[in-house]
Amino acid sequence: MQAFFRFLLALDRRWIFLLVLLSVTIPIVVPIGLPVTTTSSTRNAFEFVEALKPGDLVWLSIDYGPSSAPENDPMAEAFLRQCLLKKVRVIVTALYPLGGLGLANAVVAKITAEYPEAKYGVDYINLGYKDGAAAVMRTLGQDITLSFPTDVNGRPVSEFPIMQGLRTIRQLDLVFTAATGLIGEWWITQVHSQFGTPVIIGPTAVSAPKYYAFINSGQLVGMLGGMKGAAEYEKLLAAKHESLGRFYRGTHAFTATKGMDGQTVLHGVILALIVLGNLAFFMTRGKKAGAA
Amino acid sequence: MEFVGIGTWLAAFLTLAALSFLYKDNPFFRFAESLFAGVSLGYYVGIVLNQTLVPNLFEPLAKDFKTNWDLLVPGLLGLMLYVRSVPRIGWISRYALGIYVVYYIGVDFTRRIHGEVMPQIARTIRPLQAFDGPTLVSLIFIIGVFSVLIYFFFSKEQNAVTRPIARLGTWFLMVSFGAAFGFTVMGRVALLIGRLNFLIQDWIYPTIGR
Amino acid sequence: MNLEFGRVTLVVLFAIIPIVGIVLGMRAPALRSKIPLLVAFFAGLIPIFSMYIPKKFLSGESGMSPRLDQWLIIVAGFALLLGITNVISNGARKISRRDRGWPYAIVLLTGLFVMGGFGIYAAVSGQGMGFLPNGTPTPFRWVESTVFQPLQSTIFALLAFFMASAAFRAFRARNTEATILLIAGAIVMTGRVPLLELLAAPFPPLQPAAAAASQFMGKATEWIMDTPNGAAQSGIIIGAALGAGSMAIRVILGIERGYLGLGKGE
Repeated sequence: MQAFFRFLLALDRRWIFLLVLLSVTIPIVVPIGLPVTTTSSTRNAFEFVEALKPGDLVWLSIDYGPSSAPENDPMAEAFLRQCLLKKVRVIVTALYPLGGLGLANAVVAKITAEYPEAKYGVDYINLGYKDGAAAVMRTLGQDITLSFPTDVNGRPVSEFPIMQGLRTIRQLDLVFTAATGLIGEWWITQVHSQFGTPVIIGPTAVSAPKYYAFINSGQLVGMLGGMKGAAEYEKLLAAKHESLGRFYRGTHAFTATKGMDGQTVLHGVILALIVLGNLAFFMTRGKKAGAA
Repeated sequence: MEFVGIGTWLAAFLTLAALSFLYKDNPFFRFAESLFAGVSLGYYVGIVLNQTLVPNLFEPLAKDFKTNWDLLVPGLLGLMLYVRSVPRIGWISRYALGIYVVYYIGVDFTRRIHGEVMPQIARTIRPLQAFDGPTLVSLIFIIGVFSVLIYFFFSKEQNAVTRPIARLGTWFLMVSFGAAFGFTVMGRVALLIGRLNFLIQDWIYPTIGR
Repeated sequence: MNLEFGRVTLVVLFAIIPIVGIVLGMRAPALRSKIPLLVAFFAGLIPIFSMYIPKKFLSGESGMSPRLDQWLIIVAGFALLLGITNVISNGARKISRRDRGWPYAIVLLTGLFVMGGFGIYAAVSGQGMGFLPNGTPTPFRWVESTVFQPLQSTIFALLAFFMASAAFRAFRARNTEATILLIAGAIVMTGRVPLLELLAAPFPPLQPAAAAASQFMGKATEWIMDTPNGAAQSGIIIGAALGAGSMAIRVILGIERGYLGLGKGE
């Protein structure tokens, strides 16, 4: 037994890498379809959006880059699907410099293709990226066109019906930020605190623990924590809307729900590694001390 | 058989080149890493120019100079930042840097006090008049916040009273960090799933005709 | 000419005073740090005062604050590109001296010039950064989706491997604190995913028990996240915000001036 644990501790870490690779690859090739349970923070977010009425206006901010797209893309996509389905109008922006704009363009192109009846400039608009996120957020409380005089393609926003009569972010019913870092937090601590617009956040799992403090303090309507949160949201959407249920069950594209299989397997593997590592550590430590 | 474009092959090659680092450091990884650094900077040039400088600076100046003449100032301040690299007159950039840094610190100050300190303290101050479940939870919460704050109080050396409280604070922090570790695993794995999903679903399957 | 009070004041504070300061600084080196600190002081005060003093000249529509916000969006754009001059000069030096790894400097600069060039072309040609009217991607968009996005996501995906390896090698229950951390981590990792259902999948009789246990772990996770984690996070947020707030005051008042490359006495 001793020899086995010593062998384990001396193992080349590339064997662990191989194990990780296999435990994520196999569920992609052979999907398991494990169940997803929902948590209150995701349900609160979902119910809030469900309660919006046709014609209401919301803000979707893509505040993440490719470094966290597998977590954040499914959230932004699910939210945009829900809004377009419910005929809630959406303003899309990107405030994350390293790749936010490309993902905003991709998400908008992908989801609006699924809803051809939604018209650009009437039902949704993409205002693109802007530098200086904190300054941008300040202007939103005064006049949105101070920071976003044009849409993503450089056309003046005054040309679009969706922007008619809209002046500040206070007039919006919700801000949904899919975020990887601080910018998501600023929507809560700056925009919500100063202008009162309700905020839902879809953070990466890494930053999710912090947002429980903001949920507790009532500064956040709800949260989709990482890929799990996105999978919960997909489940809630599929259960509520028949067309989305069919979509999520039938699609070949990547969804957070599909990703949860690999998540579960690798969580099991990492827990086993922690237990094995500790066993090996304690079993060999005593002997070494004794020998010395 | 679905046609897999050159873009997908290029993306797959770069993905594998970056993953090859796991075996050992090698020229393919170095190539991918350097290319990433270069393309990222080029990406910044593209977005800053197209999405900020053209719509918020150049066009307002060109179309309506009379109204927007003052935008020349931030334009010049922006250029002034680059004087840093000229040795003899580098100090001139202090004006631009000072305005840029201190403005954002001022904004951050309002956010910290108004959006963080006050709401979080308000959440912590809770009535404890009933002896029931929610009160117990509130009590745990208050003890947690208080002990963590004591732990973070570095201005004065800990004494016999504060030391055990600070120790309790570290336990709360450890629960939080443990939970954060669990969440971090989930986040990192998600990224890997995304990449492998691309390799398998978008590259390998269409290539082998599945 | 639009000569509203707010704009003119901003121009005086952030253009006229700096110009005077630069002229004076040419003769008197002592003023090269004093006047920038004074100008910076106003830049920090305006966003703070505008929040608490509802005066028209400050926070009104044509006041100083909204216009300053617009200005600083532009300056932030320039600031984002600050590193590029360094990268280009370092890369060029590396290549001309044939330093170790110089071919990679060529790769880096090529990536920078090609992508940056496509970005400039997008602005000059007016075709933008997304898709052309016929649905095909612009050159910028094409490189973004085939080079930039895969590389960025893969480089971050590498972390999954290192984390698994670290979990095996470094995550030890050495003392009370580490044990608490480990137990909390294990509960959360089990409670966030249907791990118990996965383990019970080959054994149908165990499945209901596994589902119930999984639900319990889920509830325990939610409680940990809401209460002890929420409390610790609140404590961290309050502590860090007070620290950052006092630091902000020091910077605005010019006591902390390291960001300008200045020592205390300068």
